[in-house]
Amino acid sequence: MDRNTLDHQLLEAHAMNDGLALVHLYTQAADQREAEGDIDAACFFLTYAFVFALEAGAPEAKVLNTRLAARGRAHVLTF
Amino acid sequence: MTAHAPLGAVMATQTIARGLPNEHYVDPGTFAEEKRSVLFANWSGIGFGKDVPETGDVRPVEFLGIPLLIVRGRDGSIGVFQNTCRHRGMILITKPTRIRGAIRCPYHSWCYGIDGALRATPHIGGPGRNCHPDVNAAELGLIPIRSHVWRDVIFVNVDGRAPAFEEMHAELLERWREFDQVLHHGGPTSSFKLDAKTNWKLAVENYCESYHLPWVHPGLNSYSRLQDHYNIEAPGHFSGQGTLVYRQLRDADGAVMPDFAGLSEKWSEGAEYVALYPNVLLGVQRDQAFAIVLEPVDCEQTIEHIELYYSVDTAMTPELDNLRTENARLWKTVFAEDIFAIEGMQKGRHGELFDGGCFSPVMDGPTRNFHCWVATQIEKGRAA
Repeated sequence: MDRNTLDHQLLEAHAMNDGLALVHLYTQAADQREAEGDIDAACFFLTYAFVFALEAGAPEAKVLNTRLAARGRAHVLTF
Repeated sequence: MTAHAPLGAVMATQTIARGLPNEHYVDPGTFAEEKRSVLFANWSGIGFGKDVPETGDVRPVEFLGIPLLIVRGRDGSIGVFQNTCRHRGMILITKPTRIRGAIRCPYHSWCYGIDGALRATPHIGGPGRNCHPDVNAAELGLIPIRSHVWRDVIFVNVDGRAPAFEEMHAELLERWREFDQVLHHGGPTSSFKLDAKTNWKLAVENYCESYHLPWVHPGLNSYSRLQDHYNIEAPGHFSGQGTLVYRQLRDADGAVMPDFAGLSEKWSEGAEYVALYPNVLLGVQRDQAFAIVLEPVDCEQTIEHIELYYSVDTAMTPELDNLRTENARLWKTVFAEDIFAIEGMQKGRHGELFDGGCFSPVMDGPTRNFHCWVATQIEKGRAA
């Protein structure tokens, strides 16, 4: 998904308060940045994805926490 | 410092005792003092378990200005926390909801488990950096408020220093041991509130005496006369009244609500109504029970939160819906009949020459018991 479309969908998901969509879209944004080698940006977006997953009780929260912890950007949580 | 009216006369023997001075009903400064010495220092009711029925349910309540959060935990138990983010003090939850994963602060998205543990501090160390060596998440969980649940009432001891609930209220727990069984809330019609322009203590005082029954509740005179009632007095803990002639509500076919299991003969026609100090009013009868939490809004405003309970699951017994609805209507009528009296006493307390009142040596024991207890709590607070 190109960046403009992703941004547009993120704004829509925020407006609709769609937590699970936010998890998936921010994860996509993080994946894109990671592929480009921009780790700081990737972790920024991973943080959003992780927080919304944690709030929703989504299973993705564990994987996202692991990814952030692997980069030294979060403590490892137990789920 | 403002000089307080002396309380020695309140703690005298009943025949010569005076009631609490007017300032305990009309003075905001004394209300603030009682907030700490009476309500925060003891086990005060703030809500009901039936309002957080499922795991993850959270309900914000304000108790004398403190924002609290009632939580139903993963193990089914109820906990109470201060409803305040440990970061910058933001209110976390503004309306009842069900937490699926974590409580997320709407300000900076700090996340807490429903056990109160701090689970995430996004960007605390800069963008995309969610931890920092100077921030110990283990020390920043939600502030727990000591709580206990009995008869579906959620009690809190805000100052954390009261004896354990089971120790403090051992006498009533033992007195009503037979009623220590599952309570089923009667559903939406079994839940109502009454708003009164009165100090909360007047609602307690009125509830725990039977002296006013013949005049204020004439409907009782045909089957529950004044002489059929007895005083209940446990100095320092609770007081109230009992009846020897409880009469079950029947529908047109003569059906009654099922009894609680295993009750002794005392409860066939007996019922008891007790004010558990400071602010919870309870009633037990063979086929129903109720709990009233008095919410002190301010010095001269109280909300009575009234809930009715039964021995059988409401959803499983639709044939009893009409009886439950009628029962709630009757209780609402009875409790509403008291409003003019407690509001009238509140107005009367503005009469500066009123000396706090006196007590019938026979009929006012439960009320005087409560006055004496409040006075001792005030004195204890002042001595600390």
